Amino acid sequence: MRREEGRSDASAEPATVLVEKVKGALRLTAANGQALALGLSPGMTLADARARAPDIRVVTHRPEADAALLKRVLLDFGRFTPMAATDGPDGLALDVTGCAHLFGGEAGMMEAVAARARGVGLAVRLALACTPEAARALARFGRGGLYEGEGQSQALRRLPVAALELSDKETQALSRAGLKTLAHLADRPTAPIAARFGAAAATRLNRVLGREDARIRPERPVSMIAVDRILVEPITETADVEAVISDLLAEAMDRLDLRSQGGRAFQASFFRLDGEVRHITVRTGRPSRDAVGVARLFRERLAALARPLDPGFGFDQVRLSVPVADRLASRQCGFDRTPPGAEDLGRLVDRLTARLGPEAVSRFEPVASHWPERAVHLTPAALAPGEDGEWLDPDPADPPLRPLQMFDPPQPVLATAEVPDHPPNRFIWRRVDHRLVRVEGPERIAPEWWRSLKRPLEPTRDYYRVEDLEGRRFWLFRSGFYGEEPAPRWFVHGVFA
Amino acid sequence: MSDYAELATRSNFSFLEGASHPKHLVLSAILRGHTGMGLADRNTLAGVVRAWSALKTLREEGWSPPDRVRQGGSPGETVLVEDSFPVDIDPEEIKARAKTFKLILGARLRFNDGTPDILAYPEDRQGWGRLCRLLTLGNSRAKKGQCEIGLRDLLRAPEGLLLIVMPPRRLEGLEVLLRQVNDAAPGAVWLGAAMCRMGDDRRRLARLKTLSATTGAPLLAVNDVLYHDAEQRDLQDVVTCIREGVTLEGAGRRLDQNAERYLKPPAEMSRLFVDAPQAVAETQDVLARVAFDLGDLKYNYPEEPIPPGKTPQGWLEYLVERNLGQKYPDGATDHVRKTLATELTFIGERGLAPYFLTIHDIVRVAKDKGILCQGRGSAANSAVCYVLGITSVDPGKHDMLFERFLSTARDEPPDIDVDFEHARREEIIQDIYTRYGRDRAGLAATVIRYRPRSAIREVGKVMGLTDDVTARLAGSQWGSFGSDIPDRHLEQAGLDVDNPTVIRAVAMTRRLLEFPRHLSQHVGGFVLTRDRLDEIVPIGNAAMPDRTFIEWDKDDIDALGLMKVDVLALGMLTCIAKAFNLMRESGLDDLELDTVPDERPEVYQMLREGRSIGVFQVESRAQINMLPR
Repeated sequence: MRREEGRSDASAEPATVLVEKVKGALRLTAANGQALALGLSPGMTLADARARAPDIRVVTHRPEADAALLKRVLLDFGRFTPMAATDGPDGLALDVTGCAHLFGGEAGMMEAVAARARGVGLAVRLALACTPEAARALARFGRGGLYEGEGQSQALRRLPVAALELSDKETQALSRAGLKTLAHLADRPTAPIAARFGAAAATRLNRVLGREDARIRPERPVSMIAVDRILVEPITETADVEAVISDLLAEAMDRLDLRSQGGRAFQASFFRLDGEVRHITVRTGRPSRDAVGVARLFRERLAALARPLDPGFGFDQVRLSVPVADRLASRQCGFDRTPPGAEDLGRLVDRLTARLGPEAVSRFEPVASHWPERAVHLTPAALAPGEDGEWLDPDPADPPLRPLQMFDPPQPVLATAEVPDHPPNRFIWRRVDHRLVRVEGPERIAPEWWRSLKRPLEPTRDYYRVEDLEGRRFWLFRSGFYGEEPAPRWFVHGVFA
Repeated sequence: MSDYAELATRSNFSFLEGASHPKHLVLSAILRGHTGMGLADRNTLAGVVRAWSALKTLREEGWSPPDRVRQGGSPGETVLVEDSFPVDIDPEEIKARAKTFKLILGARLRFNDGTPDILAYPEDRQGWGRLCRLLTLGNSRAKKGQCEIGLRDLLRAPEGLLLIVMPPRRLEGLEVLLRQVNDAAPGAVWLGAAMCRMGDDRRRLARLKTLSATTGAPLLAVNDVLYHDAEQRDLQDVVTCIREGVTLEGAGRRLDQNAERYLKPPAEMSRLFVDAPQAVAETQDVLARVAFDLGDLKYNYPEEPIPPGKTPQGWLEYLVERNLGQKYPDGATDHVRKTLATELTFIGERGLAPYFLTIHDIVRVAKDKGILCQGRGSAANSAVCYVLGITSVDPGKHDMLFERFLSTARDEPPDIDVDFEHARREEIIQDIYTRYGRDRAGLAATVIRYRPRSAIREVGKVMGLTDDVTARLAGSQWGSFGSDIPDRHLEQAGLDVDNPTVIRAVAMTRRLLEFPRHLSQHVGGFVLTRDRLDEIVPIGNAAMPDRTFIEWDKDDIDALGLMKVDVLALGMLTCIAKAFNLMRESGLDDLELDTVPDERPEVYQMLREGRSIGVFQVESRAQINMLPR
């Protein structure tokens, strides 16, 4: 179901026209009701117009102002349906499938839209029909109104062939052929039309007549779950806003639960009385159905907004949508209501990220690679964990294979060891001499030869886990072998604990 | 420093695991000063003959210069090629070392029930038979190229096998396994220990020592070798990626983290096992216990063609004498008799009578069934073959080329191929199976190797080249002809020869060329044996249902001196057979292959006029041009 509006720049003023320079002459692009009553029409030259009505008010047409206004109207009319798009420079197309019930049925919808348009000072022509093209044709070339079923077909048939919006020559050709209304075309087979005027014309005919359907592409992508609350009395207080969000979240979570999904991004849209719209988005690292937790995230975000949420004269509609959702199996809470540790961590991450921003909170992730520098990767904690690699899994009885803290870059040290590859017995780092009492190794790690095309490659490393007299444990390596050129160098790459 | 022999090696016949040819492993071990080597490929014995032949060649001829000439890019073109094997020891020294080098052959059993790998080396002929039967059993349960064996299959019949258990990364459950295997094969079980430089070598070795002490399985030092030299590690990474179906970038920890799995010098092995020197010495004990050599399989000829109580040579001479009268009703000329005598002496000296007798047997069956057949090959150009009915070329009328056969210096098996009517070849095959039994007759294998097209495609994918680049490389000219990739073909393919990634991919491909990819059934080569075939060599399933073939190919069979008969199909014989039938039905002469009148002037006239369409062997345009001259 679709509805369209035509719009002209109107006001309760004396006869006014808009002019624009077309091919060197100033011509009228639009005229208001009074001007039209005086016999002026768009396309006339200004000189002609002045001749008929010397007192008309002339305003230069500014298409960009028109476009900006249209955009604002579009955003505002997003309250009626998320599937909204502009239709030409002066119209909107709204797909109200499934939304009409919110406004009391289709008739109520038309009423509400007309009322709102009047409220913001627009003169509109509306048409509601089964396909976008049909509605457009009925609004622009017919009389507008609510159409369906048989009534729609009849109305469409009465439309002139200009409703197909083909080129002027083609339209002329049609009328010369005696095909003046769509009724004439509808009763004929489409193949000759396609042959004479092109396949596009035939498609257009089918669409206008409602035989074919094509969805409009909405300005904003449609979210999977969206819950609206239309407020009879507009709200301005933050506490009220938060309460409404909480209610909406509870509803949205129920719907997610039905689908066994959890949301990873939640968007609250606030529609102001005067047409402004504001969106606040909150993201979570793991899919979530925790209404309380996400409400808290919203609270924190609202509190931390750089530009406070200005309600103006109040919000009269709030929508909560879930643009990103992932699988989350349904789960029953335990009787003692203590959630498992992983959820706590996830919540902590979400709260920190909401307050500090995603780049400020990160975590280490394993990468499938033997080379130590590449085996670990820092990512924003809020992103879902990747499946790239797993941490090394040593025997639980053995000491850890990798240090907790790794230095980047590895720090050079001086060390002595028996050739060819015995562990060192001491090393000097930052002028401190460490004598080693326990050593283990080597763990030989060869460079990833396919990564670089130049030769020679980085030298093979022999890693050693060592413990000094004070019990401190280090992760040392020797880069290169004794007896080779260049001589090998020793580094400390990390510390355990 | 003690003597060392590497007993855990895998060659590239462990398809897509090993990265060296068996002959390179043997040569490398000799050069490094090992006293011996054990080759054990994954669930197969397909590569053992190559290693064995390589050693034999080294012993007899020393280090022969590498294949300097290979097929080039177009047919007939040859290209000088450098073999990548650097040898800096005197060739005579190599020969001397090879003579004392001991090669033992076995298989690395990979089980389907999670048991760690166990190497199995047969120590005697019975052990070899058991190993072959175990692998045959595993092959029979799986589809082509796979093998399904469980630990209990091994433990059911381990006599004659020396078993080396290769511990996995985690040692849980190893003690139980060792006890189990030791109970089934007491005194024949070792625990393999490798120092792979994973950071906990000495700790692990200490644990293995304890295990060895408690279970009674001696510790054996190995290096779990996958390539002969550390330089080959990148190729091993590439084949691992091909096997796992990933690129090098995405392989992650599936690749080894270091390049330690090569044949290390004995001094290095002693140093690595300084905490357990007896493990190194143990390698010599294992070597010493193996008394089986592949050469023991020689002369395993079937006895069917020979009546009991007769020797092969005696029977052959009797048959020749008996048939002489039929072939030469007017009496044989002196020339013929002299030729026969020379040939029979030669055959007797070489012990080749069984070959001729087996072929004669098969041909006789064919003739009884009325199937046309014709022998060819150097040995088939012999008077003996004519008299036995194997060929139809009368030595009395034509000069024979038996000199070619007589002049073979070594005791190569005679080269006799027999063509049969292709429409009825299956009957012959079935008859062979019936006569000798499916357990003593089997088809030979062919080793399908990486050719340039397939190699560049796989290597390119692994190295991350896009599909269109690899397709262009693969599609360029050398696809079906050559076994090498000349640079000009790269340029023709529109690729920048200086692009380092392309260069690297092409270099890697060159190394992968000639690697075995899988085994396939040979077209008509049969192996016939006296003992059970599956106690000589493992048998595997072919892609066709109800077809099996052995794991060795024609070269392997020749090298071992087993009996091989080529049963080939020739469409032209079917044609001729149909022509003969047609003639008989129309009331024309009743002819056989050897009674077709020859030297007909009309035929020569026709050929001279170039009207040779439909005449076998002279049908091509080139021939048509040549004939009138």
